[in-house]
Amino acid sequence: MSLSIEEGEIFGILGPNGAGKTTLMSIFSTLIRPDSGRLEIFGLDAQKNTHAVREKINISSGNPNFPWSLTVRENLNHSAMLYGLYGRDLRWAVDEAISTFELEAHADSKFETLSTGTKQRVSLAKSILNQPEILFLDEPTSGLDPEMALKTRSLIKKIYEEQEITVVLTTHYMPEAEELCDRIAFIRNGRLIALGTPGELKRALKIGHRIFIRYEGDLDPLRLRMIPGVMDVRLSSGRVEMVFDHSERAVSSIIKAFEGTDILDIGIDQPDLEDVFLELAR
Amino acid sequence: MSWRGELNKFLSATYKNWIISKRNVFTLFEIVFWPFIGLLSIGLLTRFLEVTEDMVAFVLVGAIALSILQISQMDVAYILLFDLWSKSIKQTFVAPIRGYHLVIGAMLFGMIRGAVVFLILALASFRFFGFDFLAGGIVTVIVFLAGTFITAASIGMAVCISILLFGQRADVAAWSLSGIMMLMSGVYYPVEILPGPLQLLSKSIPLTYFLEYYRSAYGYGSHHVVFGMGLALFYLAASLLILNLAIERARRTGMMLRLSE
Repeated sequence: MSLSIEEGEIFGILGPNGAGKTTLMSIFSTLIRPDSGRLEIFGLDAQKNTHAVREKINISSGNPNFPWSLTVRENLNHSAMLYGLYGRDLRWAVDEAISTFELEAHADSKFETLSTGTKQRVSLAKSILNQPEILFLDEPTSGLDPEMALKTRSLIKKIYEEQEITVVLTTHYMPEAEELCDRIAFIRNGRLIALGTPGELKRALKIGHRIFIRYEGDLDPLRLRMIPGVMDVRLSSGRVEMVFDHSERAVSSIIKAFEGTDILDIGIDQPDLEDVFLELAR
Repeated sequence: MSWRGELNKFLSATYKNWIISKRNVFTLFEIVFWPFIGLLSIGLLTRFLEVTEDMVAFVLVGAIALSILQISQMDVAYILLFDLWSKSIKQTFVAPIRGYHLVIGAMLFGMIRGAVVFLILALASFRFFGFDFLAGGIVTVIVFLAGTFITAASIGMAVCISILLFGQRADVAAWSLSGIMMLMSGVYYPVEILPGPLQLLSKSIPLTYFLEYYRSAYGYGSHHVVFGMGLALFYLAASLLILNLAIERARRTGMMLRLSE
């Protein structure tokens, strides 16, 4: 695998279980050493300048663990000390992390008493203590309920925007990657199989949202195919199934194309990771 | 990085061990209950056997040394053990920290706890068995304690190295290694009564020399404390080096991640 991540982007790594996402993130964060190959972070050889690289990065993983009997604040204090923070800077960094991830109510609770979502926020709070230039997020919403996952994504966006950092994240969840990532790499069995923006990938793989419309009346199929963002059109009697790129805002144009007909029913399916991988596996 | 930042990297292990210790009722057993019970049992045994005052001193020095060694080596072993039990090892090793930061920070806390144990046991042995722990002077006590702490740090690191090489099950080494020290370094008897090959082995254990040194103040022959201190420092440096190699190996083999799962 060979890939380059641009400074300031949110880069997603997607792949099925066992694809090597966590291994790749662990190599990026210098937790494990690759058998071969080369990793450069901001021009530094990560295997030769490991400590200099670790000063610039941090990682948060799904289902995180910290010493159980330490409170949230104590765990963050300890982590900040590991990064060499001290005095007023340490207190500011810990307070800021607690405030950013809305952990005030849990600051004095022991880690072992926290819910999965709160543990995840502690891990994210820890990951910004040293104001990293690159933040690695390994399945940051894994195991979270939809509401907490949504909140976590908005917190990720918040720190990305406020701290102007580079974020590399892995996820199983296509909408999450689409919402957060500027570019995505799909990996399988440790190999890079596709790379691009979400729109580019879906266009290249002809994977997009699906719209199903039942109608009565006359319809010009050519008009449908000409709509920007429409990748595929299938017609049967009184029913159209279209695949389109959601980022092109094609829905209103599609609806307009049905002027003069009676629309009886509409349904839209979002593409998911499975669709993408089924396509990539062909 | 400023010197205060560097200092805080050292103190990170001290801080964690302190918080966990103060919140754990087990700490009271480690510092007071078991050492005190051990000392009392050994002291009462000397009463029953009607041994001389010198021999009482001989045995009590051993009992005190063993307790200090156990508590101080555990603090260094806790560098990995606490993280191992809470599956949080990677949180420590993703940070820009080196093995010596963790060892020295944990050793500092181990020295504090070891000194507290020494004080409790020395006062108890004076009160119950008339053992004058200052008979050789304060310098003797300081050298004895320093040697024991350095030896304990090497044993604690050996525990960490075992865990990094062999995985979670190796945590049994935390309780086994000090037992081996007890057998080999003449904690309760002179090493001369050991079988020949074991006597040779006992000469390679620094604790043997520190026990010999402290006991010499109570009329038990000569000592080779300078050699013992040199040996202890050599083991300390070698253990640090091997610990760093073991950390790197754990990164290469993926053990670092497996210990966090």
